[in-house]
Amino acid sequence: MGEALLRTNGLKTHFFTAEGIVKAVDGVNLRINKGEALGLVGESGCGKSTLALSILRLIREPGKIVEGEIWFEGEDLLRKSDEEMRNVRGAKISMVFQNPISSMNPVFTVGSQIAEAINLHQDVQKHEISERVVEILDKVGIPDPSERMKDYPHEYSGGMTQRAMIAMALSCNPRLLIADEPTTNLDVTIQAQILELMKALREDFGASILLIGHDLGVISEISDRIGVMYAGKLVEYSDLAGIFEKTKHPYTQALLESIPRLGTEQERLLIIRGTVPRLINPPSGCRFHPRCDHAMKICSEQEPPLIEVGQGHEVACFLYS
Amino acid sequence: MLEITDLKKHFPIRGGVLPKQVAAIHAVDGVSFNIERGETLGLVGESGCGKTTLARTVLRLIEADAGTVRYMGRELLKLNRKEMRKVRLEMAMVFQNPGGSLNPRMTVADIIGEPLDIHNLARGDERKRRILELIERVGLAPFHMYRYPHEFSGGQTQRIGIARALAVNPKLLVADEPVSSLDVSVRAQILNLLKDLQKELGLTYLYISHDLSTVEHMSDRVAVMYVGKLIELAPVKEIYNNPQHPYTEALISAIPVPGQRASKKRIILKGTVPTPIDPPPGCRFNPRCPYTKPICRRVDPELIEVKKGHFVACHLRK
Repeated sequence: MGEALLRTNGLKTHFFTAEGIVKAVDGVNLRINKGEALGLVGESGCGKSTLALSILRLIREPGKIVEGEIWFEGEDLLRKSDEEMRNVRGAKISMVFQNPISSMNPVFTVGSQIAEAINLHQDVQKHEISERVVEILDKVGIPDPSERMKDYPHEYSGGMTQRAMIAMALSCNPRLLIADEPTTNLDVTIQAQILELMKALREDFGASILLIGHDLGVISEISDRIGVMYAGKLVEYSDLAGIFEKTKHPYTQALLESIPRLGTEQERLLIIRGTVPRLINPPSGCRFHPRCDHAMKICSEQEPPLIEVGQGHEVACFLYS
Repeated sequence: MLEITDLKKHFPIRGGVLPKQVAAIHAVDGVSFNIERGETLGLVGESGCGKTTLARTVLRLIEADAGTVRYMGRELLKLNRKEMRKVRLEMAMVFQNPGGSLNPRMTVADIIGEPLDIHNLARGDERKRRILELIERVGLAPFHMYRYPHEFSGGQTQRIGIARALAVNPKLLVADEPVSSLDVSVRAQILNLLKDLQKELGLTYLYISHDLSTVEHMSDRVAVMYVGKLIELAPVKEIYNNPQHPYTEALISAIPVPGQRASKKRIILKGTVPTPIDPPPGCRFNPRCPYTKPICRRVDPELIEVKKGHFVACHLRK
C-alpha cells in the first residue's frame, strides 16, 4: 500500500435543518494515496459531494462537520484556522465542479481568473503571470491560448469552459485535485476529450485525484480504486477489479446489474426495490437492509463495520463477517 | 406507421435596426425516415443536434417548414387543427424533466385526468376508474391519486408523466430523454416499465437520448443525428457492431464502459459540434472527421442504403 496523502477518520458532516438533522456524511474513513486516483460513486443524495466539500471545509450553514479528522500531509485540516485553510484551498487541494459555466465569474476574462489564482497562491512576478496563464491554457488544450485568455466565460463552449476550470485548478500544482462530476453536463465526444485530458494531466502533474460521479463507466476510466457510498456511508472500497469482478456488497452488485451494458442482451434490468432513504431518519443498522435481498436479522440491529475481505478490498456488510 | 420525408425546420434569428431575419438556425435540415409499427426507434445525437426539434415537429407541437409526415397513410402536416387533435389521441410524449412537465398545483388524479377531459374520453365514475387503472399500471398506489407532484421522488414523477401520456390510449409514444435526470437504480425501473408497457399495449416508441447505452438497451433500430441531419440509420446490433459513419464510430468508441480502463481503441474527435446557424459546407462532419476528402468539403452526402436496412450519409461508403 502506498503512502497516504489524505485520510479521513470517522468524518461526520450533518445539516441541522428545521425538519431534523440530515446526516449527509456519517462516519466515513477514506484514504487517498500519493499519485492515486480514487473514484467515489453513489446516487444523488448519498453524501459524495458533501464529503468533497468537507475536505475543503466549504460546508456552509446549516451544515457542520461534527466529528472526525481529515489528515492531509501530516496535518489535521479540521484544526487549521480559516487563514491557514485559505492557503490549502486552491494551492494544495483544488476542485473542479460539475457546472463549469456557473463556477466562473462572468464579468472577468478567463485569463484574469486564472491569473488571480496564481497571484494568490504563488510567488510569481507580475509579468510572468500571463506567461503562466498561456502555458497552462495551452496544456489543457485551449487553441490559441494567448488570444483566448482574453475571452469571457460565455464565449467558451461547455467543453472549453471545463478545460479552463481544470487549468485554473492545476495552475498552482495542487497535491490533490477533487473533480465533482466533471463531465456530467458534457456531450459524449466532449466527455471523452476531457477524460483523456485528465488522464494525461495526471501523469504530467503527479497530483492525486478524487473523482466523484454517478456513472460507473466514467469513474472506471480514470480511477485506480473505487469507493461506493450509500446513504452517507462508505459501503465498499477496492481496486477496479475488486469492484467489478469480485463485487461484495449487495448494493454494489445491484448497482452494476441495474445499468444497461453495451453488447449484452438484457431483456430486463435488475431493479433495486424501494428508493434511497431520507437521511433525516435513515434505517437502523445497515442502511441498505430494507432494500437488500440478503438482509438478515442482525442487519436491522447493528451497523456493519468496514472490514477487509481481501487484499485492499474493504466492505461493510454482515454477509462477510 | 410513420413516414417522414425531407422534414425541415429552421428558426429565424432576427436582428438589425428594423427587425428582419438575419440568419436561421437549421435545427432539422432535410430528415427522412420511417418508424414501423411496434418497434422502438432510438434517436441519438449530441445536444443541439436537433433531435428534440425533430420529435416536436413530427407531433406538430411546432410547425415544420418543409417536408411531409405521413402517419398511417395520412399527411399530418396538411391536417387542420380539429383533425390534428383527433390524430393526437394516438400520439403522446414523455418529457425529460418530469418535475417541470407536471403542473405543481394539480393533483395526480387531475394531471392524469386532464387529457381525458380535453378529448372528452371519460366522465364521472368512468373517469375515476380509468385514472386508477393508469396509476396502477405505471406502478403507483391508489392513495397517490390526491397528492401533488412535489410529494413524489424523481422516478415517481416520471411514472406520473408516463401515466398521463398513456391516458389517451396512444399508439405512438415519443420519449424524449425520459431517464436522463434519474439516478441509476431508478433509471432501471423506468426502462423496465417502458418495455413492459410496450409489450402489453403494443406501443411504438420513438426513444430520444444522448446516452448510447440505454438506447442500445431499448431500441430495435437506431438513427444518429448530427447538426440537423440524419447521418446513419440501422438495426441496433448492426450500428453498434458495424458503424459505417465516422461520427457514429467515434460516438460508440467514446462510451465509457464500467470496469474498463480505456484499453480499447478510442477515437477522440477534435473540436466541438458546429453551430446549426452556419453549418460547414459539404458534409457537416468534415471539420472534425479523421478521413476528410476534398469532396466532403463541397458536396453534402446523401443518405444511401449500403446494406439491407443500413443507411449512411458518407462519401467514403459509396
